[in-house]
Amino acid sequence: MAEANVSSDATVRLRVDGLAKSYGTGDKAKVVIEDLTFTVNAGEMVCIVGPSGVGKTTLLKCLAGLQPATRGQASIDGRTISGPPPEMALVFQDYNRSLMPWLTVRKNLMLPLRHLRLPAAEAKERCDSALEAVGLSHAEHQYPWQLSGGMQQRVAIARALAYRPEILIMDEPFASVDAQTRFDLEDLCLKIRQDFGMTILVVTHDIDEAVYLSDRVVVLGSKPAKVLKIVDVDLPAPRDQITTRSLPEFARQRTDVLSLIKRPA
Amino acid sequence: MNRKAVNWSLGVGAPLLLVALWWTLSSTSTNTFFPPLSIILERFQALWLFDHFTSDVLLSLRNLLLGYALATVIGVGLGFIIALVPVARWVLDPLIHFFRGIPPVALVPIFISLIGFGVEMRLLSITLAALFPTLIATVDGIRSVDSGLKDVSAVYRLTRREKMVQVYLPAAGPHIASGMQVSLQVAFIVMIASEMLGSSQGIGAMTLLAQQSFMISDMWAGILLLGIIGFAANLLFEIIKNKVLAWYVGSKRLARTA
Amino acid sequence: MNAQLRQLLVSAGGIVGAILIWQFVATVPMAGGPLPPFSATFTELTQLLASGEFWSSLADTILISLLGLGSAAVIGVVLGILIGSFDPFRYATLAVLEFLKPIPPIVILPLVVLIYGPTTQMAWFLVFFGCVLPIIMQTVAGVHDADPVTLDTARSYGMGRTEVLARVTLPSAMPFIGTAMRVAAPAALVITVVAGLLGGGPGLGRSIYQAQAGGDYPSLYAYVLVLGMLGLIFQGVSRLAERRTLHWHASYREVLPA
Repeated sequence: MAEANVSSDATVRLRVDGLAKSYGTGDKAKVVIEDLTFTVNAGEMVCIVGPSGVGKTTLLKCLAGLQPATRGQASIDGRTISGPPPEMALVFQDYNRSLMPWLTVRKNLMLPLRHLRLPAAEAKERCDSALEAVGLSHAEHQYPWQLSGGMQQRVAIARALAYRPEILIMDEPFASVDAQTRFDLEDLCLKIRQDFGMTILVVTHDIDEAVYLSDRVVVLGSKPAKVLKIVDVDLPAPRDQITTRSLPEFARQRTDVLSLIKRPA
Repeated sequence: MNRKAVNWSLGVGAPLLLVALWWTLSSTSTNTFFPPLSIILERFQALWLFDHFTSDVLLSLRNLLLGYALATVIGVGLGFIIALVPVARWVLDPLIHFFRGIPPVALVPIFISLIGFGVEMRLLSITLAALFPTLIATVDGIRSVDSGLKDVSAVYRLTRREKMVQVYLPAAGPHIASGMQVSLQVAFIVMIASEMLGSSQGIGAMTLLAQQSFMISDMWAGILLLGIIGFAANLLFEIIKNKVLAWYVGSKRLARTA
Repeated sequence: MNAQLRQLLVSAGGIVGAILIWQFVATVPMAGGPLPPFSATFTELTQLLASGEFWSSLADTILISLLGLGSAAVIGVVLGILIGSFDPFRYATLAVLEFLKPIPPIVILPLVVLIYGPTTQMAWFLVFFGCVLPIIMQTVAGVHDADPVTLDTARSYGMGRTEVLARVTLPSAMPFIGTAMRVAAPAALVITVVAGLLGGGPGLGRSIYQAQAGGDYPSLYAYVLVLGMLGLIFQGVSRLAERRTLHWHASYREVLPA
């Protein structure tokens, strides 16, 4: 399915075009996003960085079709997003508010699959491989609240993987896990892209993480949010937590991004 | 360990002691209000286990169960509508809150005046009175479903039906269950009241009749049976609730110890 | 602002609609039947408000509710602290309290009426019986909720038993007692009405019974309307009182929406 798009390497899958979002109307309107334009190519990993409270989550809600844009639009393959697109999955920041506490890990994964009405064998196979990919096969019969924060976030990622989206969006997925788990989850992200050929968009406020993960970094700044710069990251693949992060190139790239954010707008 | 054994024997022993005390102290009692326990138990067996079992005990229990079941189904269903349809909420909210203020038993005389003393009156009273706690708890439960869970259901494009059955209903489960527990109490109270107020059938009617005709042991037997039913109904509910909401009980326990 | 206004209008429309339907049903399909028109009920209500008899029933009802609630609060809290502070007491009473808790006072109503007759004491005792158990059990839970670190700190500062009780245990149990009182206050009103309706005790319950027995339907409905409003007032006041007295407590602050 997605292979055809991936092969022609500069196919734009996700396009954000003059997108603006404000809450309320008239004089009391609060502008959260002023004007955003950027694209994500098929098979690309793009990170959006910016200071906290800049409206990144609002942007993702517009991309996922959970909220309508006030102006401009976001589109997938040229189709304007007006509701949750079928080829997209989203991993939320709050794992403990996005997993169903009354379902076991496996049943959490099955919930979206039941909606797709897959044959039982295929659903089982998807669950098994997604759980294996995140290393949670042993925990499938446990409830999310019995697991650690990092494990819960892995369950949320596994649920998205089992859904087999073509585009995966993650909202600060590693914000509330410890440093070691964070590294593991970052590498999991890279592995997912390699194994499943997904287009991945990650929102984060961690500049190192953005540089480490991405092909390109979209730097947002100021309130209301606008694009400061789009930075191409050309670090060699495969990336590795120790060697990649110790490259001089890595240090230069992160300094570039950091100085963009630090500079008074 | 030793201390635990002492506590356990106290827990089991104290109630047994109380019953034994009742038995011995009342055995020679000539006080008309407090007849010997042995006679009460005799009357209990004679009245409830054979003579009036089908005619009164089963009748009362059937009304209770049927009225309660109806109240639960209507309460949860209507609760969903009120929680999810704004216009329905605006129209019905003030009315519901007004009805909630009325003591449930006060509705019984109204139903008697409207449809008489029959079984339908008792059933309708039980249903209507038991409706409100479940209804209000359901509305609260659905309205407090976490927005994160709603977003997840939207992103994975769950249909309206899937959202209702697989997300809203279980998420509101703990709220609904506590409302249903109050409803059960109310249903039990109104069952007794509807029998006492205007009927010659049922455990409540029998008990009040016994009191009015000064058959004190029979009255005690009625009180005993009603007490046991009230206790057993609540116990049964707790057992089922803990089974159905095992995930909730477990996560709360974990949160407490953490 | 505009949306709020529209919501208010729809709500008002719901109330007016309900009244119109009532009026229509009572005057056209059920004319002359047991359902009085709203207009007649309203007229009756205004006449009631002008009669001294009504106000004295109302006063009786409120007085009995408050007496029962107050005595249940004092004795419940004292017993609760006693049971909660000494483990042997707690284990000895556990089974008995758990058995009695789900049994509503209406069950023992025939016995209490037998002993006291249709009097204020009868109603008072029923209210007391209905309210005291939940207050005891919540107080016990509150005493056990006292932070062990705070308790140790208090003891290490050389506070005596009574001082620890007054300074640490009791304040930490306050939110639990507050919750119990908030639930018990509307229940006290309901039980007072039950005592009047079924046991002939003084107050609005008896007035309702007399109106129904005498076929005076407009005043039956007028009394039920009054009770509905009184119920709302009891709920509102007890909630407000709880918020006022417990606003300082952390566990209570969490419950309030930001």
